Amino acid sequence: MENFKNKPLIKKLGFNRIILCGVLILMYFVFSLFSGRMLGSGDIKNALNMADYLGFLALGVTFVIATGGIDFSIGPVMVCAGLIAGRLLVTFGWPLWIALIMCVVVGCLFGVLNGILVAYMGLPSFISSMASMMLAKGVGSVFTHVQNSNWPASGEANSWYKYFVTYNGIPTGLIFLLVVAVLCTIILNKTKIGRYILCIGSNREAVRLSGVDTRKWEALAYIICGTLAGIGAITYVGVITQVQPGLGDEFNNNAIASCVMGGTSMAGGVASIGGTFIGVLIISLLRVGIQAMGFRPDYQYIITGIIVALAVFADIRSSARKK
Amino acid sequence: MGEVILTMKGIDKSFPGVHALDHVDLEVRRGEVHALMGENGAGKSTLMKVLTGIYTKDSGTITYEGKEVEFHNPKEAQEAGIVIVHQELNMMNHLTVAQNIFIGREFMKGILIDDAKMNEEARKLFRQLGIDIDPAEKMGNLTVGKQQMCEIAKAISHEAKVIIFDEPSAALTEAEIEELFKIIRDLRDKQLGIVYISHRMDEIKVITDRVTVMRDGGYVGTLITADCTKSDIINMMVGRVIYEEPKTHSMVAPDAPVVLKVEHLNAGKMVKDVSFELHKGEILGFSGLMGAGRTETARAVFGADRKESGDIYVNGKKVEINSPEDAVKCGIGYLSEDRKRYGIVVGKSVAENSTMASLLDFVSGLFIDKKKEVEVTQKYIDRLKTKTPGVDQLVVNLSGGNQQKVVIAKWLVKNCDILIFDEPTRGIDVGAKSEIYHLMNELAAEGKSIIMISSEMPEILRMSDRIVVMCEGRKTAEIDIAEATQEKIMHAATLR
Repeated sequence: MENFKNKPLIKKLGFNRIILCGVLILMYFVFSLFSGRMLGSGDIKNALNMADYLGFLALGVTFVIATGGIDFSIGPVMVCAGLIAGRLLVTFGWPLWIALIMCVVVGCLFGVLNGILVAYMGLPSFISSMASMMLAKGVGSVFTHVQNSNWPASGEANSWYKYFVTYNGIPTGLIFLLVVAVLCTIILNKTKIGRYILCIGSNREAVRLSGVDTRKWEALAYIICGTLAGIGAITYVGVITQVQPGLGDEFNNNAIASCVMGGTSMAGGVASIGGTFIGVLIISLLRVGIQAMGFRPDYQYIITGIIVALAVFADIRSSARKK
Repeated sequence: MGEVILTMKGIDKSFPGVHALDHVDLEVRRGEVHALMGENGAGKSTLMKVLTGIYTKDSGTITYEGKEVEFHNPKEAQEAGIVIVHQELNMMNHLTVAQNIFIGREFMKGILIDDAKMNEEARKLFRQLGIDIDPAEKMGNLTVGKQQMCEIAKAISHEAKVIIFDEPSAALTEAEIEELFKIIRDLRDKQLGIVYISHRMDEIKVITDRVTVMRDGGYVGTLITADCTKSDIINMMVGRVIYEEPKTHSMVAPDAPVVLKVEHLNAGKMVKDVSFELHKGEILGFSGLMGAGRTETARAVFGADRKESGDIYVNGKKVEINSPEDAVKCGIGYLSEDRKRYGIVVGKSVAENSTMASLLDFVSGLFIDKKKEVEVTQKYIDRLKTKTPGVDQLVVNLSGGNQQKVVIAKWLVKNCDILIFDEPTRGIDVGAKSEIYHLMNELAAEGKSIIMISSEMPEILRMSDRIVVMCEGRKTAEIDIAEATQEKIMHAATLR
């Protein structure tokens, strides 16, 4: 086993990620077996739709968790961006492309806010992101007068934003997500931004004493996270069309669960975009699979909870062994 | 002085690689204040930890109240009546005084804690000690001095027969020290045995009856305080044979320019009006005992901590240093005494650590130029003879000496001309030590200027061209290596 783990190719792909892929495939067959039918393209489509927006949230929060922080505001921020942009589009008649850009801008602004609160004002990220979570919910509701934001349905005018999710049966959303994930991998592993973010998570004081402005890089992690939540909002509205105010909390948990499952350490310093990506697929499949088996979606929470606890336990065990 | 209450005889204790205690003796009588003295690392704390069961001894005997004893943990020692009043107070600031004193043995009324009874008992204790503290006050609202009194009250409440004071006066004001001494004399008159650990020579003369001196883990001797002079004690403390060759004269050219000048630096409680100059190619040793404020001075110069006032000149030009970022821009690098916490990022590779301070030079376009990073890292691995399987090795897997070399590489890559080495050889084995020394001499010969903070006297005498001695936040002496002796340095380090 140890030999197998140390093979260059396995090392490069990451042993844990290979296990995760195995889990993903296994889950598919288990669900197929117990639901009495092979999960078909409809189920897969559902899973992928969810994976789209969840994926952007999870990619973003991976950066924050890499610094040793946490961001609970991503889900509500995404919903808030969808609400605001939707109202600008439908009620105020702004062009669609500007509305879509506004999604990203709203997300980015919340990222900036979190970055300032945590990195420059020294609030614990747990608290600051709770504050901005409530802020996002409130702003979204106030801006829309607690009404749904109804984006144009398929076939109506101005519905090309849905091409970000599917186009003629092609899962463009997945491709979009994959491209962004590759970009994130490059940022995290090949650029100064990623290097400093990971090092801050590992030993902030040592980085500061090396003459690095740690506040700037830490804030940047939150800005990346918020911006990705904003991009996620584009696929979110593409999937669900009608955005309701006051939602978004459950997406946080699923996104963070995906990260942790993928091998990103809550203590910071260790992060894997690839792992997060697979984690997102697992969580999404879980949800669809459980419905296919005829259970209410609530059961997904129970299973996700168990999986997260096990994943973190495995993480702690493996890092304890290294020491 | 009454009968003997505590005898430690031939106490021996080794840790991997260190002979921490080498057949040490200590005898405490009822009704005496017994000073335990020695330099940093002489073994005082280890001896007290053996006594109170934090460490188990390898050999030797402890006799307490006529019976041979061995405590397995501090609680057993406490129950037998041996209590330590720590230098760092272990108090919970948000609890009341009484709650702190009786923590772990609260008075109960059914299933509820009886706070009224605790307050009353605490008040009795304070009356007994003659101190005026409200037991219902929150601990955090008291001054450090009063907190210390509470710690003493807590010790008494355990019906202590032997109380060990570990540098109790370090954080106290003059008036508070007076009050402390009054209490200690009181306890002595009540026939308690008191062990008093302190570096302050003057206090030793005032408050103690006998003094036992330790050096490098060994027992040197016990004197009656009234019969000896300060110099006698200092000579016992430092009277070691230095095996390494001490430097005999400064290697710095007399006309070497001043590269760093610090004037009237003040920062917090630990840095008071410190001024010094560092010349090009010089190794400036900073000597002093624990808590002298040397690290704090270095951190303030480096911008790691806020300074209140003071001017810093680099190469004759006045500079504003408010963060490590500013300092690094001025060409100053800092090698922390606590490598694991402040020096290296343990979970990252040798290459990542080496380029940490100068990553900008390794970015081409958007990406980090890994090839250049590997090349440069390898260059410094070769130059510093760092033992690592490769540039990708995580630094956590390297030995202490090699970790230190990675930190040195970090600053050399950044091309820093002023290097502050804070305890450069702490936790490093003997072989690697001399390599680090060699390296520092090489760097100085190349024209780098080095500030070396060290608590090890032989290291100071072997490496420094000039020595600054600090005591309690102040610079108390500046000695050229040609005139430096252990006695002179120790004298300045214990000026209070």
